[in-house]
Amino acid sequence: MIKVEHLNKSFDGVQVLKDINVVYEPGKCNMIIGASGSGKTVLLKNLIGLFKPDSGEICYGEQRLSTMDYASQKELRKNIGVLFQGSALFDFATVIENVMFPMEFFTDWSFAQRKERARYCLEKVNVIGSDDKYPNELSGGMQKRVGIARAIALNPSFLFCDEPNSGLDPYTSIVIDHLISDLTKEFNMTTIVNTHDMNSILEIGDKIGFIHNGSMLWQGDKNTILHPDCVQLKEFLCANTLARNIIEGKN
Amino acid sequence: MVFKKPEKWRIFWRQFIVESDKLIISSILIVAVISVFLGGVLVIQTASNLENPVIDKMYIGYMVRESLILEFCSTMMALILAGKMGSNISSEIGSMRISEQIDAMDMMGVNSAGFLVLPKVIATTVLGPLLMLLSFSLGLLGGWIVVDLTQIIPTASYVTGIKYCYNGFYAFYSAFKMSLFCFMISSIAAFNGYYASGGSLGVGRSSTRSIVVTSILILMFDLIITQLWLY
Repeated sequence: MIKVEHLNKSFDGVQVLKDINVVYEPGKCNMIIGASGSGKTVLLKNLIGLFKPDSGEICYGEQRLSTMDYASQKELRKNIGVLFQGSALFDFATVIENVMFPMEFFTDWSFAQRKERARYCLEKVNVIGSDDKYPNELSGGMQKRVGIARAIALNPSFLFCDEPNSGLDPYTSIVIDHLISDLTKEFNMTTIVNTHDMNSILEIGDKIGFIHNGSMLWQGDKNTILHPDCVQLKEFLCANTLARNIIEGKN
Repeated sequence: MVFKKPEKWRIFWRQFIVESDKLIISSILIVAVISVFLGGVLVIQTASNLENPVIDKMYIGYMVRESLILEFCSTMMALILAGKMGSNISSEIGSMRISEQIDAMDMMGVNSAGFLVLPKVIATTVLGPLLMLLSFSLGLLGGWIVVDLTQIIPTASYVTGIKYCYNGFYAFYSAFKMSLFCFMISSIAAFNGYYASGGSLGVGRSSTRSIVVTSILILMFDLIITQLWLY
């Protein structure tokens, strides 16, 4: 479980996150939604420790991120998988080497064991027969899948996905969404997905938090989001024709 | 973070070999070509400036050797390598920075600076002097080829000259300079790449900045070391 309490963050005097309070539970796909520039990525980067909050607390279970020393943070990070927006696969490594990379650093497994685990992760995300390809030889969807395989390589308790569907076609987006959702339930991970893709929200949003101008204005799930009591969320949703028709009760 | 003890020595040595191949072995060809031509040109220029019949022709070989070992094989090669190795390191690390690959490493708990930068710095600093020795040998060879082909001076005089009054300290001095310059090239380029921002333009800027800064620093340190050690 990840608990965020009174989180504030500003850059050059501009407050980007304002008093964020939210709890992310394990075994659920927790979505952070909002328009571009609303503060989603900043929140995600605060959660994973790439940015330091101005004030407030982020707790991983019983551990407070702000009071952790470098060694404890490093230990925690072994338990975190991150899928970056651009996949962030290492150019110098092949598909299988990318997935084996975290294992090489943090396990004492033999090469054969690492390879077996990497193959297992790649099978989970349906990437088969591309072990020796380099990232630039893969399609965007394949890169995302390999990114997910790398993120779950060490069997983490926490999975963060920054806009996993950006640049993907609708079909591949659905495949990636279900992959994230299935892996979350199978491994009981606390998954946090940063997105503004309506399909993803409605498909896998077990818990949804809407951010507007740095404030979390609404929290709910995929069943309640189409009947929101928040004006800003309604405006955000109505940008999507399908959602607008449902909200406005049109056929 | 760069000079922190590596998480796993096995990974460090593997990266050391990879970087040695990428930065040092791949530079052999350009160093070899430049050195052979440099040696040849030095022979012709020295000979054309020493036409006094009183001065023994042997001194042409002697002067070529001293010029090569004192300045050309270390400083000039370092300036060339600042372009080749510096841009390679800076653009590689810079593009990893802007495509979030370094963030991904940090998020895994991997010391990204230690993994990416340290093997490059150690490989270039330790093996750079070998390029200097190669350059020196091939420079002398280039001079010998020109002497042999043009008979601008007798070959025997050239060979006697390059063996005349050899001072081993000069070789150490030149190797030390090369090692220091290679350290500067890799660390400055890595620093600029690691903190690159602003997309592909930012990577280009960091690459250019590292070459300019390194070149100026090489010339400054060349002057300082020469003043301290040789005068």
